[in-house]
Amino acid sequence: MASITRASVSMPSLSTSVNQSQRRISGLNSVSFPVSGRSMIPSLRLQRGLQVCCAAKQETVDKVVAIVKKQLALPADAAVTGESKFAALGADSLDTVEIVMGLEEEFDITVEEESAQSITTVQEAADMIEKLVEK
Amino acid sequence: MGERAAAASLKFVTVQANSASLAEARARVFEFFKTTCRSIPTVMEIYNLQDVVNESQLRSAVSSEIRRHAHITNPKVIDMLLQKGTEELHNIVQHSKQRHHIIGQYVVGQRGLVHDLGTKDEGTSDFLKNFYKSNYF
Repeated sequence: MASITRASVSMPSLSTSVNQSQRRISGLNSVSFPVSGRSMIPSLRLQRGLQVCCAAKQETVDKVVAIVKKQLALPADAAVTGESKFAALGADSLDTVEIVMGLEEEFDITVEEESAQSITTVQEAADMIEKLVEK
Repeated sequence: MGERAAAASLKFVTVQANSASLAEARARVFEFFKTTCRSIPTVMEIYNLQDVVNESQLRSAVSSEIRRHAHITNPKVIDMLLQKGTEELHNIVQHSKQRHHIIGQYVVGQRGLVHDLGTKDEGTSDFLKNFYKSNYF
């Protein structure tokens, strides 16, 4: 996938480089990359400095779902999606904290107090993990 | 893992003031639980528990201990229990306890005989296992 690097901006004439990057952006638009089926709007993965907020990767969501199922002792075919709320799956507050701790261990991150309070669904957990893993 | 251990450093354990309300006591319980969970890798390292138990089992042991007192509503009682829990955690992390204490209290816990994780005893017969357990089977 074409990546826009900051180093490419240091060219003799700025207007040329801007045109180049614009051409590259349009190049990205025409490239077809796998849409995982979650959203029909293709999300552009720009470079770190120009980060647009993207949805979490599917494998992250799957790992989160596996940890939730193990913690709440749900059967393997229980319907747990990105939108499931922990409370709806039968987790009390201590279970939620324990799930967050399990995610900390699995992904080797540390979740701040304020961020931990706001997690109520699987998708939010996956998004926060993505944000912390990238740091 | 270095981040988590640093986040849970328990160098100085002081008595805190009483919590003003049940909500504050509740927040302190979660904070204590998080500190404990973040210290679990250190504990496993200190007492060489890698073959006996894994982290999530220790985590569920801790949470079941906390859940045993989940019905209490008096903030002062909760504070007292937290005080005892913090003291226990401090003792464990400072290596004041020994391996058999940890195994007996938190790995085997309320369950009885620990299921063998090693390959040594997997082939023995059920007769022998029952025999070791009790006289009557």
